[in-house]
Amino acid sequence: MKKIEAIIKPFKLEEVKDGLHDVGVEGMTVSEVKGFGRQKGHTEIYRGSEYTVDFLPKIKIELVLPDSKVPEAVGAIIKAAKTGKIGDGKIFVFSVEEVIRIRTEERGEAAV
Amino acid sequence: MKKFTINRFLVKLHDPRERTFFLALFGGKMLGLLACFVIVFGLPALLTSMTGKAHAQTASATSNTVAKALDAATNAIAGAAAAAPAADATPPNPPYVNPLNTMWVLVTAFLVFFMQAGFMFLEAGFARTRETVNVLLEGIVDTCLCGVLFWAFGFAWMFGSGNGFIGNQYYFLQGIPDTYGSTGVATLAYFLFQFAFADTCSTITSGAMLGRTGFWGDLWYSIGVSGFLYPIFGHWAWGPDGWLNNIKPAAFHDFAGSTVVHTIGGMIALAGAIVLGPRLGRRFKRDGGGPMPGHNMTIAAVGAVILWFGWYGFNPGSTLSAMDMQGIARVAANTTLAACSGGLASLFFVYPRSRKWDCGMTLNGLLAGLVAITCPCYWVSPGGSLIIGAVAGVFVVVATDVLEYLRIDDPCGAFPVHGVCGIWGTLSLGLFATGEFGAPTPTGADTSADALVKGLLYGGGTDQLVAQVIGNGAIGIGVFIVAMALMYAVKATGTLRISKEGELEGLDLHEHGAGAYPEQVTSSI
Repeated sequence: MKKIEAIIKPFKLEEVKDGLHDVGVEGMTVSEVKGFGRQKGHTEIYRGSEYTVDFLPKIKIELVLPDSKVPEAVGAIIKAAKTGKIGDGKIFVFSVEEVIRIRTEERGEAAV
Repeated sequence: MKKFTINRFLVKLHDPRERTFFLALFGGKMLGLLACFVIVFGLPALLTSMTGKAHAQTASATSNTVAKALDAATNAIAGAAAAAPAADATPPNPPYVNPLNTMWVLVTAFLVFFMQAGFMFLEAGFARTRETVNVLLEGIVDTCLCGVLFWAFGFAWMFGSGNGFIGNQYYFLQGIPDTYGSTGVATLAYFLFQFAFADTCSTITSGAMLGRTGFWGDLWYSIGVSGFLYPIFGHWAWGPDGWLNNIKPAAFHDFAGSTVVHTIGGMIALAGAIVLGPRLGRRFKRDGGGPMPGHNMTIAAVGAVILWFGWYGFNPGSTLSAMDMQGIARVAANTTLAACSGGLASLFFVYPRSRKWDCGMTLNGLLAGLVAITCPCYWVSPGGSLIIGAVAGVFVVVATDVLEYLRIDDPCGAFPVHGVCGIWGTLSLGLFATGEFGAPTPTGADTSADALVKGLLYGGGTDQLVAQVIGNGAIGIGVFIVAMALMYAVKATGTLRISKEGELEGLDLHEHGAGAYPEQVTSSI
């Protein structure tokens, strides 16, 4: 089992969700986060003056999948979230030791 | 640096490039000089011609008022016996009438103006976080634009005398009389009151177009709406010689603007929503989607209540006369009752389908009741108002469903509320007018037989209903056609709809450089 953590541009969430749905991903956790990478911050305007925003709003998507589905899911995220411009985000893939469904206490892939 | 000499200058003049450069520079200086002259001599001349007139009027108005106030005081002191002959001696209006009515019109104008705050709250609440600044700024810029345009020619076209279709008097408020028409209200108070109405009309439109209209597009269509569409179509019904006042057998009646303000605003909103198309990512019910929820129900709910409060200026103020005391009281009570029944009707009409008590729809329901009662408020009974409001509360829900079915994206429900219920309200006068009430005049209610308005359900026959159908149909259909043309014209300039990237990023960041809540994460979940 693997956990995929993807950080994407906020307005790409809808497309990424639809893309993942199309490859058979059934659930995910999404959070609003702030951060920066090589893109650094950007400037906004307040009463006629510019100010710098260092931490940009991003969306973090987390999902846990059986190993076999990971390449497909990663492909779907890339396809949907890519604009080709700086700030598109990153995808991290981790190994997961154990998954437990609280309601039934199932373990392992059955619980994913 | 070389020293400038005449010789070098003459030599240089032979070079065509240098010559062009010199001429351009010289011409520019001359134009600048000319502009200075215009400013120095022209502007004062223009301003004195304006303020001179205003000063003269104010002075005479003030002295009149003072004299009248003194009169009134003397009368009061002298007691009833002495007052009676004094009142007989003066021409028809007692001396306190004009100041009192002007005061009433000004106070209600301020209330109507405050509806702008209600609209901004309601629309911001129904918008998504990412377009909040855009909606707020649009409400403000609409107001500013509308004021300038109404001063320049809006008031002239709407309330000047001309022909049945457009007025042609009082451009730039030049040559205005002390008091407007037979109202006895100071003309500038009347202007302010009507400006607030015009502003309301143009802000209604933005509710249906939010979230995807570029700011340049906003500016262009706002100029079209408050500068041209509203004044010209409004003149048909409210102009001193509007043709709808003279139709037979009964004149078209629109007390405070179910047609003039709300049908016009709602129709333009519909045209805008159709031409713009839905927001990106908006999926409709028959495609398995649903509306995009607004971002702040607190603000939306408070906005609706502020609008309700502002309506106490909108409707009772339209008597233009505080002397018709039964009239303003009846109008205020009717307004309240229609809002109450509209809200309740929507609430209970929506409940069975979702088993939820829907706040957003109840807000639109109470607004629907208010829009509907705007036309008939003077001529119907409190009981009639309850029915008119309740029907509006149902209509607004049905109209929202129809728009959803037609895949028209109206984020605030501007067309269901203002368009559909504006039409219903106008027609309802032809059904519910009791036949007891005529027209407000500066000194009280006019209940002469000619002025009385009687609807179908009170045995008045279909005359009034037919007049209402003609008036509302002519204005509603006419304005819809012109508004479609206007929106397509703005679309042709490429400014109406924002780019795909801009819309996805959000209008706030893309058009205004910052969001409404910069310290919070901008939600797109």
